[in-house]
Parts: sequence; C-alpha cells; structure tokens
Amino acid sequence: MISQFFVLSQRGDNIVFRDYRGEVPKGSAEIFFRKVKFWKEGDEAEEAPPVFNVDGVNYIHAKVAGLMFVATTRLNVSPSLFLELLQRIARVIKDYLGVLNEDSLRKNFVLVYELLDEVIDFGYPQNTSTEVLKSYIFNEPIVVDSSRMPPLNPAAMFMQGAKRMPGTAVTKSVVANEPGGRKREEIFVDIIEKISVTFSSSGYILTSEVDGTIQMKSYLSGNPDIRLALNEDLSIGRNGGSSMYGSRSSTGGGTVILDDCNFHESVHLDTFDLDRTLTLVPPDGEFSVMNYRMTQEFKPPFRINALIEEAGQLKAEVIIKIRADFLPSVTANTITIQMPVPKYTTRVSFELEAGAVGQATDFKETNKRLEWCLNKIVGGSEHTLRAKLTFPQESHGNLTKEAGPVSMNFTIPMYNASRLQVRYLQIAKKSKTYNPYRWVRYVTQANSYVARL
Amino acid sequence: MSGHDSKYFSTTKKGEIPELKEELNSQYKDKKKDAVKKVIAAMTVGKDVSSLFTDVVNCMQTENLELKKLVYLYLINYAKSQPDLAILAVNTFVKDSQDPNPLIRALAVRTMGCIRVDKITEYLCDPLQRCLKDDDPYVRKTAAICVAKLYDINAELVEDRGFLDTLKDLISDNNPMVVANAVAALAEIQETSTRPIFEITSHTLTKLLTALNECTEWGQVFILDALSRYKAADAREAENIVERVTPRLQHANCAVVLSAVKMILQQMELITSTDVVRNLCKKMAPPLVTLLSAEPEIQYVALRNINLIVQKRPTILAHEIKVFFCKYNDPIYVKMEKLEIMIKLASDRNIDQVLLEFKEYATEVDVDFVRKAVRAIGRCAIKLERAAERCISVLLELIKIKVNYVVQEAIIVIKDIFRRYPNTYESIIATLCESLDTLDEPEAKASMIWIIGEYAERIDNADELLESFLESFPEEPAMVQLQLLTATVKLFLKKPTEGPQQMIQVVLNNATVETDNPDLRDRAYIYWRLLSTDPEAAKDVVLAEKPVIGDDSNSIESSLLDELLANIPTLSSVYHKPPEAFVSRAKSTSARPDDEEYTDAVETSYSEWPSSSVDSAAVTSTSSPVAHSVAHSVAKQPGQVAAAPTPTSPPAPVPDLLGDLIGLDNTLIPVDQPAAPSGPPLPILLPTSTGQGLQISAQLVRRDGQIFYSLLFENSSQMVLDGFMIQFNKNTLGLAAAGQLQVAPLQPGASARTLLPMVAFQNISAGPPNTLLQVAVKNNQQPVWYFNDKLSLHIFFSEDGRMERANFLETWKSLPDSNEVTKDLPGAIIHNMDATVEHLAEANVFFVAKRRNANKEILYMSAKGPRGVPLLIELTGSVGVPGLNCAVKTPSPEVAPLFFEAMDTLLK
Repeated sequence: MISQFFVLSQRGDNIVFRDYRGEVPKGSAEIFFRKVKFWKEGDEAEEAPPVFNVDGVNYIHAKVAGLMFVATTRLNVSPSLFLELLQRIARVIKDYLGVLNEDSLRKNFVLVYELLDEVIDFGYPQNTSTEVLKSYIFNEPIVVDSSRMPPLNPAAMFMQGAKRMPGTAVTKSVVANEPGGRKREEIFVDIIEKISVTFSSSGYILTSEVDGTIQMKSYLSGNPDIRLALNEDLSIGRNGGSSMYGSRSSTGGGTVILDDCNFHESVHLDTFDLDRTLTLVPPDGEFSVMNYRMTQEFKPPFRINALIEEAGQLKAEVIIKIRADFLPSVTANTITIQMPVPKYTTRVSFELEAGAVGQATDFKETNKRLEWCLNKIVGGSEHTLRAKLTFPQESHGNLTKEAGPVSMNFTIPMYNASRLQVRYLQIAKKSKTYNPYRWVRYVTQANSYVARL
Repeated sequence: MSGHDSKYFSTTKKGEIPELKEELNSQYKDKKKDAVKKVIAAMTVGKDVSSLFTDVVNCMQTENLELKKLVYLYLINYAKSQPDLAILAVNTFVKDSQDPNPLIRALAVRTMGCIRVDKITEYLCDPLQRCLKDDDPYVRKTAAICVAKLYDINAELVEDRGFLDTLKDLISDNNPMVVANAVAALAEIQETSTRPIFEITSHTLTKLLTALNECTEWGQVFILDALSRYKAADAREAENIVERVTPRLQHANCAVVLSAVKMILQQMELITSTDVVRNLCKKMAPPLVTLLSAEPEIQYVALRNINLIVQKRPTILAHEIKVFFCKYNDPIYVKMEKLEIMIKLASDRNIDQVLLEFKEYATEVDVDFVRKAVRAIGRCAIKLERAAERCISVLLELIKIKVNYVVQEAIIVIKDIFRRYPNTYESIIATLCESLDTLDEPEAKASMIWIIGEYAERIDNADELLESFLESFPEEPAMVQLQLLTATVKLFLKKPTEGPQQMIQVVLNNATVETDNPDLRDRAYIYWRLLSTDPEAAKDVVLAEKPVIGDDSNSIESSLLDELLANIPTLSSVYHKPPEAFVSRAKSTSARPDDEEYTDAVETSYSEWPSSSVDSAAVTSTSSPVAHSVAHSVAKQPGQVAAAPTPTSPPAPVPDLLGDLIGLDNTLIPVDQPAAPSGPPLPILLPTSTGQGLQISAQLVRRDGQIFYSLLFENSSQMVLDGFMIQFNKNTLGLAAAGQLQVAPLQPGASARTLLPMVAFQNISAGPPNTLLQVAVKNNQQPVWYFNDKLSLHIFFSEDGRMERANFLETWKSLPDSNEVTKDLPGAIIHNMDATVEHLAEANVFFVAKRRNANKEILYMSAKGPRGVPLLIELTGSVGVPGLNCAVKTPSPEVAPLFFEAMDTLLK
C-alpha cells in the first residue's frame, strides 16, 4: 500500500509530504524528481511513464493542475488504485480550498495534512468523499484570491465569453462560508464533451469519438434528492440488446447511442431503464455523475481543408481552410490550429484573409510548426490562412509526407456533439419558497482533432 | 477562524525555539494553537523542533479536536527519536481511547499505531481490544487497520492477544467500511506470514460478495483483490461469482473495473460453457475500452494490462482496433503502448486500415515513435503472410522520403522480412542499396551487411559494397564486425575470385590477431579452419539453409503470461515482470530458475572457454559449448550467425593450446612430491570411463583459514601416469592455484591424494556471478582433461565472521533495504536447532540471535565473505519442515546468488 504521498511543484519543490509506513527512505521525492526530469530513453528527451521503479521503490504519479501528485510503495500494489486515488485527493483538496495550486496548498498546509490523515490510513485509502470527510475535518480553509489565478479546471472555460455564468462559483470552496455569512443555494450540472476526430486527406472521417462526462457540483444545503432526466431515446451498447441495461428500440435518426457508460456510486439506476432518469443525493463537492463514450457518427463542428504544394523553386504554399459547421447562435472560442512543416523550412510568411480580427499567426522555429490562433469563430463562418514557406535547398521528397497533420484545439460553450441532453433537473422541495439556482451547462472541447494531408 | 497559515512560516530574528516554547505554555488557547501550528510548519520544512517535545505534549490534554490533531501529528513525527519522552503521552492516549467522542477514540488508536516505539506498543493492546469492539463503526474501521500496524511492529503480540480472530470476526460486521478494512488488514498480514491466516471459504465468499455492493470504491478494490485468491470449486460456482462481480465493470473508478476484470478472467478459466465465455468477453470489451477515456496516466496502466489480456484472449478486443489508434495529443508513453496493441490486433481483415495509420505515424515528429511505427509495419509483415507485400510497399514508400532514421529502421525490419519469406522479395534489394552510405547506426549497418552477404550472388557489385565497409573494420562496433566477417566469408564462398579472396584475408587477420573480442576471434577461427581444411564443407555450413523466423509480437511465453495475468491489476502486470523481480521482500511464490540474464551469461562464458581447442569429438557433438552458443545466437539474432560447426579436425596442434588459449601467462606447474592427506570421500569429477582409466575426484575445502583444492587421482589404466599439471579457467571468484600440484608418478592401480593451495581474485571472469569452476588437468601420457567443478562461497567464510548483536543491528540498519536479497531454499531443513547452529558455526556462519514468530524460528547469523565483506543473514523456517527462507543483507548484494547456493549446500 501507499508508503509515502507527496506533492511537488513543477520546479520540484516539496509542497506536501506525508509518510504513512516508513518503508521508503526520506530522499524519495528528490530521487523521483530527478528521474522524471531527466527521463531519457534513446536520444530524445521523453516523458516519464506514470509508473516506474527505482532501486526497489515504485513511484506512481499523476499531473494535476501543473502539480505532481506522487505515491511511493515497495509492494506489488494496483497502480490504477493509486492513480485514481491521487486524482481523488486532488479533487477533495480542490473542493476544500476552492482552488488547487501551490499557493493555496502552502497556505492551507494544516488542513491538507488533516485531510490526508482521514483519506489514507497506514497507506490504505479510507474515504475520499468530500461529503463524508466534512464530519471529521476541523480546520477551516483559507481561500486564496482566485481572480488572479489562471483558469485551471474544465469548469473554468464557462467563464469565457458567457457572462450568464456566475464567475466565482467554480472556484468556491465547498465548506468555506461566503463573506456574507450564508451560502447561496445552487447546483451546477456540466455536460462536458471531449471530441476526437481524424479526417483523411480527402476529407473523410476516419475515426470519431466523444468522451463525455456529466459533472455535478452541489452547494445545496441538506442534501436533497435530485432527479436528472436524459434523452428519452438514449440507448446504450452499439450492438443493440447486448447492453447491461437492456436497450430500447432505436427510433431512427435521432437516437443517441452510447457505446458504454458508467455512474457515480451515489446514483440510483432504478428508473434508468424505464425513462432514462437518474436519481441521486449529490454529495458535496465536485464529482462525475456519469461518464460516457460514443463512437456513433456525429457531425463534426469544424471542417478542415488543408493543402501544401510547391510554389516555384525552394518555395511552397500552405492553405488551411476552416469551416464552422454549427448554428450562428453558437460561438467557439480560443481556437488554435497547428501544422508541422518540413524540417528544412527556414522562413514562413503569412497572409490572413482581409479584415481578419482577433487572429494571430506564428512560425515556431524550434519545432518547425505553424500556429494560427483565433479568438472566436461564429457558427457558419469560414476562415482561411495562407502561408508561404521558404526552403534553403531543393526539397527531395514528397511535401505532403513531410508536413502535417493539421491539429485543432477549441472550446465551444453551449454545444454538444453527442446531442445528449439533460431534459430536466428536479430538486426535491424542502419548502414552498425553496428554489435554488440550477445551472445546466454544455461545453465541447477538442481532444484530438486532426486532419491529415 | 484561523488566519493565514503561511504566516507560521515566517521567522522572527531572535531565538525561534524559546519564543515558541513560551507561546506553547501560554494560557490562551488560541495562542497555544497558533504556536503548535508554527511548530508543525517548522517540522514540515525540515527544521528540528524535537526539543519542544514536552511542551507540545503538554498541549495534548485538550477538548479541542483541531489542536489535538496537530499535537498527534507532531507526536508521530518525533516519538521515534524521543522514545522516553513519548511515554509521557501514553496516559493521554489511553484516556482518549475511552473518550465519549468516537472521533477522539479513533484518533487515539490511529495515532498510537503510527508510533513505532516498543514501550508505547505495549500500552496499545488494551485500547485496541476495546476499540475493535466499539459501538461506532468509524472507531472499528480505524482499529481494524491498527491491527495491521501492530502486526508490522510486533507480530507475536498480535497473535498472543488474539487480535487476528477479532479481525476475522469483523468480516461479518454490519458496516461495509469495517469489513473492507478488516479484509485489507488480513490480506496484508497474510502477505507477510507463511502460515495460512486469511483463508477464503465459500462462507466468507458469500459475505464479502454482499459487502461488495455497499462499500466505498476503495473497499471494493480490497475485497475484489482478496477474493481473487479464491478458487471456485466448479464451473457453476465460478459462474455465480462472475455474475455477482460483473456489475462492477460499470464502475466509474478504473481500479474497481480492472480488479473486476481480473476476477472475471480468472473465473473464466473454470467456465466450460462457450456461450457464457463468449458473452463475458462481449461484456468486458466496452469497460476496457472506456478505460482509455480516463487520464493518460490511467490509460497507460490500462494499456499495459490490455496488452496481456489480448495475448490470452484476443477475441475480447478483436473488433476494437480503432480505439487504439493514436491521438496526436497522447503522451508518448501512451502512443508506444497503443502501437504494441495495434500490432497484436492486426489481422488480414483490418490490416489496410492499420497500415494507413502506421504510415501516418511514420511521418510524425517524435523520432522514437516514428521508429517504432516503422518497426511495427515490419512486424505486421512477418505476422500476416497475406499482407506482407502491402507492408513492404509501405516500407519502400517510407524509404523514398529519405529521412535518415526511417530508412535505417526500415532496413532493419526488411532484413527480418527476408528471413521470414526467403526468396520472395529480393527484388527490392537494389532500392535498399541506394541508401547504403547514409547508414550510421550499428543495427542498420549490420542488417544491410547481412543482406549483402546473404544475397551476394544476386548483387553484381557485392564485393565493392562490402569493401567500402571494410576500411573502417577496426572501428566498427562488435555487431557490425561480426556481420562483416560472416558476409565476407559468404561472398568468398559464392564468388571465390581474387577480390573476395583478398578481402577475406584482411578480415580474418583483423578478426583474429587484431581484436580483443573473444566472440569475434572464435568465430573467425572457426571460419579459418573450415576454409583451410575443406572449403566444400565450409559451403555446406556457412551457406546452409536457415530456419525461417516466426512472428514475435506475442512475445511473452505462456507460463510467464499466466503468472502476469494472475497479477492483474498490480504493478507486476504493468512492468510485465513477476513480482519477485522487483519487490524486495515478496514471498517468492515459486522457485523459478533465476532470471534469464543469468543463464545467458553462463552460456556466453562457455563460449569463451575452450573454443576450438577442444578435441574434435567435442566439436561434433551438438551439445558442445561452441555449437550450443552458436545455435543459441542463431535462434536469438536471425541473420547474425550463419555458421555451425562441422566434423573436421582442427589443424592447430594440441600441446600448447591449453596455456595459450586460456590466455594465462603462468605456465603449467610440474608435479613433484606425493602427498597423502586423508578426509571424507570427494565427489568424482572425471570418471574412469571419460578419463581413459584416470579418475579424478576433487573438492574445494577450507583448512586453518586457507582455501585448498583437495584432489584424489586413481589410475586404473595400464600405464604409469606422470607429469600432472593443473589449470583453472577464469571464474567469478578468481580462484587459481597458489602452488604446484604435487602428485607422484602414478602406477597402474595406484591412487594419490593431494591438497593444492589456492589463491582468490587472481583471474576473475566478467559478467554476473556464477558458480562454475572449470578445471583442466594434463599429464605426459594422456590428452588434456577438462571437467567442471562448483564454486561454493562458504569456503570463503572466514573465521573472524562473528558479530556482536549490537554491531549486527547497527550494520543492518546502516545498509539500505535495496541491499537485501531474499530467496526460498526449498530443499534446506533444520532438523535440530542446536545441531544446525553448531554445524553452521563450523562453516564459519555464526549465530547472532534467534526469535520466534508465528510458529517460525527466525535465526540471525553473520559471516564474512570474500574480501572481508560482511554478510548479515536471516533464516526463517520451522524445525523439521523442509523449506527455509533465507535473506541476506550485505554491502555487496551481487554475491547473493552464490551465497544462497552455499547456504543450500550447508543446510541439506
């Protein structure tokens, strides 16, 4: 089981260190950091795998919010348990502190140690539910000023552009009281989808996938029952009928078919098969109500057309065209498009479309990559970038083989690719006047969004 | 409300400690609490605040839980360095363990268990007994874990007080959290004990399966992992278990899913109905794929496990290959694992899709990934005969891009493809030759040279191509040199014209006289003799048809694979190594022959030994060392060695080879005087039948602090034998003769005994330690006799190896844990404790201390090994029962294998 737990900053500073079993020498954090920093296999500097062994000590680590969460052990343990636990510890700490970063950890070290003692005993994970932990934790969090912090968590992306969202909510501690004294009754339900699409050189979709999660964060007092209704025609299991929940007859084009899904332990599925509703008593803190995966075809939000061709001697031209295939009422933001160009490229000159606003281009000399950033793209619009490449020598091969693929990063609030919907969110009423704030939000992000040349 | 915690880190100029001391003794609670926080802050940044021990402990008696927790945190940290002061806290602990507040009761037991001080431990028992039966589940679950803590400190105490039984009772507790912790504690205790403590009966099985549905995700993992040790009685029970476990596949926690998968895979072995198995495979696929949507760290762990699962049950994910396609933003460690699995899932049905992906990866930026992708294409070609041609055309396309490392990698895999499909794709050689001058990596060069040599007759300018490599022969790495040697010989045999003839002379000269590499030299000598004796035979050997290589993508051999699958989802299944290979104190489950490296090394050292000097009879036999090592490397490295020994007699004269080829300067020692020491019978190393009437028995012995080789010669031949000489080959401990072998001329029917003084560390062999001692003996009448003896480390144990108890403990502590090596000695036995101790003392293994633990005797002993290296020994076992566990801690853990062998001999 876990011998030591520690959190290191990116520079390798020890922010939190707890030894549970005294089996591993004290210098382990130092050994770990050196190993990770100078991880090399072959001549390329590589990223260390999350699990490795040095001198009989196993180091298991996960990167969360720019920090390294590490556990050590001498025994033949289950590394997935460790990794899940590390993520969960990060989440609990974030629930308590509101923000998870070096500063907040340092300011709240006593509270963090108190949490760690309840979460792990003698190396065995005990409880990681923010809700349950509340009865055993006595230190109060010191909330750090979150307005100066860069957004770190998926929920933070709602703050961009959408002024409807209460900006402070997502970085609010679950336990700390509001300055005003009483807490605001509210609940957030976020449907976050990460989509991966690979387009072939001729524009066909080779693979497409949605990794979705329904994230909930409840600030409701008294933990009332909640009912969450999803699409009625939702079906699970691609082969229809083989699903563990049985599947409903698909009614043509509109059906959402998930490949697989799983649920938080607080979720009751009694009525799920019947009417696709989930009932639960949400524990305090942030948690995933449901994770799902879909490979059913969906309409990709962006079409990418890219080409590279010779343009005279020692020159080539790149044209990248992006078309937003969604409604004009929706706006994607923080879009980055990247494309590696032949390694021998020495110079690049860009040409943006006439009247382009909020766009920037760059040629990353070190890794020979074009970068095109757009602040936002409105649904239905189309944007084009032209770039001229200069080579010092005759290109000797096939240009398309030495350049590309084009990859794209974006966030689209109030859009979801899978069409999975929360039809309604019902909170059991405590009194007639009880009417807490309910926020149901959708967002789609690019995971691996790639077009080949 | 507490203020800003970080202010506790700020220091004042004058005397921080006295100031804190004053604040700790303040009568104001808030000030006290702030002071303790400051102390903890100082502690966490590594400052020594142990001098405040009494003052902090004084704050312990408080109703304020926040303050109490802080004091406890401090206590855990410093109790070990201040055991006498820690006693002061005992009373409060005991009192707290009876507090009306369950949180305080639990806190007291939890903290006491963390303080590893003997004096405290004694006082822990009573509170623990009470808390195990507490009304509050929070207290009980804390107490359950505390039993494991106590067992780690003092196992005897736990058994004596009957805590194990109480713990077992907790399995039936009505609170699932308590059940889960009891299971975790029992599983850990079982891990360190050899006696059955935690046995899962069908009764406990039912209880645990029920608890499974209600406990936390972590508890589910404990229970699933504990249950995976349960062997179902029949297919029906297995099906029942699987049915109860299957819903866990739907859990959001990946650890739960993987533990459930393991459990199902295990029970599936028993299930006979193919329908059920097929259905289970179908159910497992989506959750396994879903693991790949988790954080990249978890994906990595999942992929390593999936790699094993698809080797055993390829059908589970046969249709899911697309999910293993690499995403451009996957970390490199995830991409590499996905590639492996793609190769394993590649089939005639999906190969086009897969090749398209590989081709794409081969033009990416990351060099290692690109290399692996190119290699993957080759592996698919070898695996799927019908797709081979398509794979090759992709490789050729890639070669045309002329990216240096892509070309080199492609050539390496094409060499393997040639070996898989001989005489099929040689038309592409011309294309390969175009890239000749860009090759700069040894493996690529060696592969290209092999191709040229192998197909010399089809390449018009093969001699020119090879010649261009020859110029740099002396500077090339061994791998390239070996290939150049073989390729030149092939060229010469295929085209025995003037050019190749000159080349071969240059190469043989370079590879025999001008090299220090024994492999190269040996191979060159064999070729040389072959060519000079019988070129036709050389042709038969060198140009013989080579066995076709197979697909190695399912690379883990099946017994290891089964062991690894049984270890899902642990580190073992992620590293793809059995637990003994990396867990320092794991109970080694089976006596596997040490790791492969070890056996490899022994083989290599064989080939360094007599090589061509062995008489002709030995060369012909396939089991001779040379033939063996050649065959071995043929199997391992396709295309590297093309020669096999043939029945030709070596042209070189015999007499001087012994001294010559063993490579030692000291000449043979003539025999002078008879000596007749007596002693117990010696093992026969050279039987009469082999020795043409001469029988030699010998053994290494230690007498009066000196090492001797005790020898007995018996002459049953018809002639007088005289002029005995002896020589030892290089060996791990560098043993060599220190004087002359003194044996009088031996009449027919006579025998002679002698003691040959030995010295150590004279001619040490390289490589990992092994026990082989190779001896050569000659006389004036007979050929040279070779025989093997065994080195035993115990003859090195010196008489001054006794250690005082305190010294032993100190030395033990001063050595890092990594210096400890453990091994089971299944054949060893202690019949009688006193007799064994006495017997070991005669062998200079000295008794230090003894204790009993769980019916086992634990003996601590010391010895002093070669070069005065101390060996601290722990022997665990029961009197009269065969099988001992032996642990040794020493500054030179590399001697451990030899040591274990010595102990095994001593304790037989």
